[in-house]
Amino acid sequence: MDVSIEQLKVLLELQGMKQVPAEDMENIALRLTTWLTAMEKIEAEMSAEINASEPIPPVFPREEF
Amino acid sequence: MAVNDFIYMTGSEQARLLKSGALSPVDLMRASLERIDHYDPKLRAWITVNADQAMAKARVAEQEISAGKYRGPLHGLPFGVKDQMHALGFPTTLGTRVLDPHETVAPYDATVISKLADAGAILIGKQNQHEWGKGGTIDFPFGQPRNPWHPDYDASSSSTGSGIAPAAGLCSFAIGEDTGGSVRGPASCNGIVGLRPTFGRVSRHGGVMSGYSSDTFGPLARSVEDIAAIMEAISGHDPKDVLCSPRAVPKFTSELSGDLRGIKLAVVREIAYSDGVESEVAAAFSASLDVLRALGATVEEVSLPYAKWAVPLQMLTTDADVASWFLANFLRDRYMRFDTGTRTRLAASALIPASVYHRAMRARTVVRAQVLDAMRKYDALLTPTNVTPPRLISHAAEVLGSSDDVIPKLIRRRIAHYPFSLSNVPAMSVPNGFSKDGLPLALQIASRPFGESTVFRVGHAYEQATPWHTRHPDLDKTLAVTE
Repeated sequence: MDVSIEQLKVLLELQGMKQVPAEDMENIALRLTTWLTAMEKIEAEMSAEINASEPIPPVFPREEF
Repeated sequence: MAVNDFIYMTGSEQARLLKSGALSPVDLMRASLERIDHYDPKLRAWITVNADQAMAKARVAEQEISAGKYRGPLHGLPFGVKDQMHALGFPTTLGTRVLDPHETVAPYDATVISKLADAGAILIGKQNQHEWGKGGTIDFPFGQPRNPWHPDYDASSSSTGSGIAPAAGLCSFAIGEDTGGSVRGPASCNGIVGLRPTFGRVSRHGGVMSGYSSDTFGPLARSVEDIAAIMEAISGHDPKDVLCSPRAVPKFTSELSGDLRGIKLAVVREIAYSDGVESEVAAAFSASLDVLRALGATVEEVSLPYAKWAVPLQMLTTDADVASWFLANFLRDRYMRFDTGTRTRLAASALIPASVYHRAMRARTVVRAQVLDAMRKYDALLTPTNVTPPRLISHAAEVLGSSDDVIPKLIRRRIAHYPFSLSNVPAMSVPNGFSKDGLPLALQIASRPFGESTVFRVGHAYEQATPWHTRHPDLDKTLAVTE
């Protein structure tokens, strides 16, 4: 997924981030593109296991250890 | 006793001298403060130091110890903390320009600081860090922190000063904070030991952080024994932290030994033997495995094929948690007061859709299950802490110009840390050599949830069989070097 600058401007507007200067746009778009693209690949490799899991944060380990 | 005789001792060695009266807490504190005065204008490990308060407490410690009121192995030791936790009397700057001075007033002591005070350790001050404890700061408001082994090189992130200060003999130990790798990275790059504890082992109360599912306070010091002693002091249940574990705290220091017979270790193949591991790191790692085998451990390989996704999954989950806090605080109305590296990272994470976040949280549990499966078969897992030696500051900065920068700038320095951060298991960095440029390299040891004793046992045995933790930078020589 490639996040374009125009898409990014809309997303920033929706989140109320109105102070982001033009010189930051490419950087933010590159980061967001990187993580969303990675998630597409993760889904491609692990989607069945993801579907079978629950999004429980591992904040209080309860395993047998 | 001459300063050079004790300033680079491990904290445990210093403690034995303090207990016997052979070393005065006042002399130790004075030496630390003089070294900070002399070297920190270059190293920039500290943001705030209160020398008068520290000397007054050292005099009290001296009186207590001489009166037979010895509190234990931290009594009289000088320490510092990452400026991400509150300490009464010190501003909590968070290494940022975003806050106004009145917003940095500490409201109370963090629990770790209270516990260390009870143990008799003496807080010198607050240490430099990447802004808000997020890696990627490019322009440091309180000065560019520098590696004591070579000032042109990076000292890692984000508990940067907390790695530099013990390594440079400016204090006996430090407390940092590790969300992704912010204790282990600085420990590795500065040539000391650093532990990310199991999530829940150490109270987070009094920390200013918002990655609620990953943030951990952890110690940095000059030996594994030091780390074990500090963990005995700071671990344990705290009702002020709802996610703090009620588990009993082992007597970690009594479980250290030099014998690894019966211990089963495994190298994480996808990290330790990946193409991104530089040759010097690979050679030091291979030599470490030989040492561990000679100590009696069995060393096998284990495959964690999902470990490669740990960095994006941590970014899609914990970073989104963090960004959600900042959206409500400062990101909308003080955007330009953030460092460029911090604000672009937070802005991107603030735009991750909730549906993607929840899929990533599910994926995180899958990756964690793979890590824990391996830990059912092995006592501990091994990787290099960093897959490259410390880099030049100019090369390490997370300046993104194109997609070509993503792997070297965003992924590589995190790749060995994040599988264990994402899993919230204990992981420790131990020095394991030096690069041809004289910069530290390190071995990472990770174990099961609440398996710190195993991590310490392996790390201590390795440390006792190798010379790396006894080497320290001669700052008069190393800091004289210029780019």
